[in-house]
Amino acid sequence: MKRMSFFLSATLALAGSLHAQSLPGESVYHLQATTQDAGGRPLAWSSLHGQPRVVSMFYTNCHLMCPLIIENAKSVQKQLTPRERAKLGMVMVSLDPVRDTPDALQEVARRHRVPAGWQFLAPAGNDVRAIASVLDVRYRFRDDGSINHTSVLVLLDADGRIRARSEVTGAAADPAFLIQIKALLAGP
Amino acid sequence: MKRTLPQTASILVLALASALAVAGDAANGFLPVEGGDFRSSVRYEEATRQTRVASFSLMARPVSNGEFAGFVARQPQWRRDRIPAVFASPGYLGHWATADAPGAAVDADAPVVHVNWYAADAYCREQQARLPRFVEWEYAAAADATRRDARGDPRWRMRQVNDGTPHAMDAAADAPANAYGIQGLHGAYWEWSEDYASLLSDGDRRGQQDGDSLRYCGATALAFNDPGDYGVVKRFVLLSALQPGATLGNLGFRCARSTP
Repeated sequence: MKRMSFFLSATLALAGSLHAQSLPGESVYHLQATTQDAGGRPLAWSSLHGQPRVVSMFYTNCHLMCPLIIENAKSVQKQLTPRERAKLGMVMVSLDPVRDTPDALQEVARRHRVPAGWQFLAPAGNDVRAIASVLDVRYRFRDDGSINHTSVLVLLDADGRIRARSEVTGAAADPAFLIQIKALLAGP
Repeated sequence: MKRTLPQTASILVLALASALAVAGDAANGFLPVEGGDFRSSVRYEEATRQTRVASFSLMARPVSNGEFAGFVARQPQWRRDRIPAVFASPGYLGHWATADAPGAAVDADAPVVHVNWYAADAYCREQQARLPRFVEWEYAAAADATRRDARGDPRWRMRQVNDGTPHAMDAAADAPANAYGIQGLHGAYWEWSEDYASLLSDGDRRGQQDGDSLRYCGATALAFNDPGDYGVVKRFVLLSALQPGATLGNLGFRCARSTP
């Protein structure tokens, strides 16, 4: 039993280091976390690498800031050219995977008329804090089930390095953040 | 509050057995902490009333250098020379002689320090455990050697002024375990909590749902039910000011498990 678990962890460690070799040290995709998408399919956090993305954290029961986060991200996307839009992934990660079932995630996407191609992900319960940590999102569950949290859009390059952040204070895109996105997408 | 001894003993045996199966280390078992209603010394914006703390188990003492060296050998991606920059700061395990061992100058039984939140989290996952939430730490740490909640005793409380220093009440090698059998909660070392990054309280939030002003740790002093609970206040302020990749010479960790 002990031997088997040692073998297993050695194998996992090896897989982890092979994976890690292709990523820069600052990449948030070094984190070995698992998520589930709105279709109920498992998706490794690290498999998001390979494309620049705007990532944010939210939860579907949130009625004040989270609609603003989604509207703000939509506003960012709207101000890109079609070519830029095709290059940039949009990812919303749940802070509340217990309640944010695939159905709940699909419902919030519908309610906000989110364009096709957005990914809504619910991390495994014990992976939420780690994903929030690499994105520098702070959050706390209140007694009433609502969550205090940092409202921010994070721009990741294809390798998972954080290139820019935009604190969400309203529905309109932050012009400085847009400039940084366009600069990243214009690169090689 | 009453429990029968055999039940406690069987939980203990189970916890020890699973710790053995994972790490081969019987010395630092998980001890049960029976839950209950608790008035935290920290005042979150919605709560002045009692908080319900569910039963959990907590390691008898912080994870040691020797135990952490075993982990680093099993999962070498957490060696100081291999850890990805996204998780690390330059001081990570900087007090060890080499990347894989503490060396002769470091006490193998002393709590490991200069570890960041990610490494602590990974260690606990390997033990099929997790880091304790702050309120769980506070709940277990409210006990002295004989009472589960000794916070009303001004003499005991005064001794917490030295928490996190070599003069801390649990820093001595012969310091007694608390009423749960747990050691070192008021020792020379502070400890990471799972929710280090969530210690938002009313004084920190300035109208928005973001926690940005949290970083200004001076503001946190405004938001305590009991500012006289110095040991807790000091930890809260320290942890809420930390980045997850940060390491300190007196910050270690121990793991917890939820009671199924």
